[in-house]
Amino acid sequence: MDAFLHQVLAGLATGGIYASLALALVMIYQATHLVNFAQGEMAMFATYFAWSLINAGVPYWPAFLLTVVFAFVLGVVIERVIIRPVENSPVLAVVVVFIALLVILNSVAGWIYSYTIKSFPSPFPAEPIFGKYMSAHEGGAIGVTLVVLLLLYAFFRFTPLGLALRAAAQNPESARLVGIRVGWMLALGWGLAAAVGGVAGMMVAPIVYLDPNMMGGVLLYAFAAALVGGIDNPAGAVFGGFLVGVLENVLGAFVIGNELKLAVALVLIIGVLVVKPSGFFGKVFVTRV
Amino acid sequence: MAAFLEVSNLHAAYGPTRVLHGIGFAMEEGTITALLGANGAGKTTTLRALCGMVKTQGQVSFAGERLDGKATEDVVRKGIAHVPDGRGTFVNLSTEENLRLGAYTRKDSDAVEVDLERVYGYFPRLKERREQQAGTLSGGEQQMLAVSRALMLRPRLMLLDEPSFGLAPLIVWELFEILRAVNEKEKVSMLVVEQNAAMALELADHAYVIETGRVVLSGTADEIRKNDAVRRSYLGY
Repeated sequence: MDAFLHQVLAGLATGGIYASLALALVMIYQATHLVNFAQGEMAMFATYFAWSLINAGVPYWPAFLLTVVFAFVLGVVIERVIIRPVENSPVLAVVVVFIALLVILNSVAGWIYSYTIKSFPSPFPAEPIFGKYMSAHEGGAIGVTLVVLLLLYAFFRFTPLGLALRAAAQNPESARLVGIRVGWMLALGWGLAAAVGGVAGMMVAPIVYLDPNMMGGVLLYAFAAALVGGIDNPAGAVFGGFLVGVLENVLGAFVIGNELKLAVALVLIIGVLVVKPSGFFGKVFVTRV
Repeated sequence: MAAFLEVSNLHAAYGPTRVLHGIGFAMEEGTITALLGANGAGKTTTLRALCGMVKTQGQVSFAGERLDGKATEDVVRKGIAHVPDGRGTFVNLSTEENLRLGAYTRKDSDAVEVDLERVYGYFPRLKERREQQAGTLSGGEQQMLAVSRALMLRPRLMLLDEPSFGLAPLIVWELFEILRAVNEKEKVSMLVVEQNAAMALELADHAYVIETGRVVLSGTADEIRKNDAVRRSYLGY
């Protein structure tokens, strides 16, 4: 029972990270109806930036904040420079751009920082909390995730800019007619998604260690999470993230073993697509012919 | 003195399909002008062209400034509110969020609150449904919402695309009464596109009849109403 509880709590911690990245995917999906396959590599790149700062002697939390800003700017620049020119291209062209972005960011990170695995510090103490069930880092990661989610919710729900972002994603033409600069809203959305991804990267790096491929698996879990919750539903994606995290840990520890953990994500992805393509909380779209 | 809104030799096309062939008209500040014409005459395209929503050639000047070539977002900032074809509701947002978006470009947030109450005064139904998701409103309510959202800009000029479309006759009357009141009390100029020519001529001071992307007839609403050809083709008696 103890071991089970331990796995569930550890699952919630990684689940929070998947939830963040899933949310980043959903934010871009809502605006563009495309899944950004490079979301994980963008987060990885931001995490390396944090690593450089910390190695240069910057204390953890200032480095954390600078990294969030860096990730935001990275997201905005990528949207403006790389995505904007292909905005109206066929879906496949954009997907190819996303994949190119994934490969390029991965290689550039490997080129600058090498492919050797690095350890990444956690800002939280090393001793366990809640008795012995959870490491302080896991607890801290859940806390950080919840703060990020809360801030995002408040931003989208209560600020005029958040409202404008939602409007631009939903109905770009009407948004322009009320004076919203839709192009910049898209860039802002990319920036926010990248910033959220950056936080996820910094939270997962102490667990999976830092290397250019560290987000590959995480992105798959996040993708599964987003699909489970409904790719157009932010709250659903968050729920999906925690669910996938717990399932992955519990099934990995007791049922299928650690080697097959990633298969859980793939089974979930295929299962959801076959049984309920719109996810548990997604909207079903009916197209009139 | 130049007219408030002056359109001259305006051409527009969707890809290879040319829709406007050098259309030209003018309107004075504070008036209501109607654009009449059959399906496909280019009425909606004319309004879209004014807002930079289609590629155009030709000149549009508004209050002494050129509008042609400007982005939609910048046209809005000149004080032009467009009530688009199909209403353009933000269906997943609440009624009140839709209205607040109408005032997105305004910086005078206190006055926005006052205006919000003012449009609720015109359309009490919207106030009852302020928290409701806008996509669940009825067609008539969504049309009221579209007009209200445009009013939230405190526009100098409103472009109304088929405000009567799909509405019950009683609701059309109600809506047109309110439009007239807004025009008289708040001095908002209006350019109205309508298939319902009789209703539009009731509301408007001036009218232009458009056929295949050109103006074929213009005059005061009275003159147009008395024109034999118009009566036969558009009024049906």
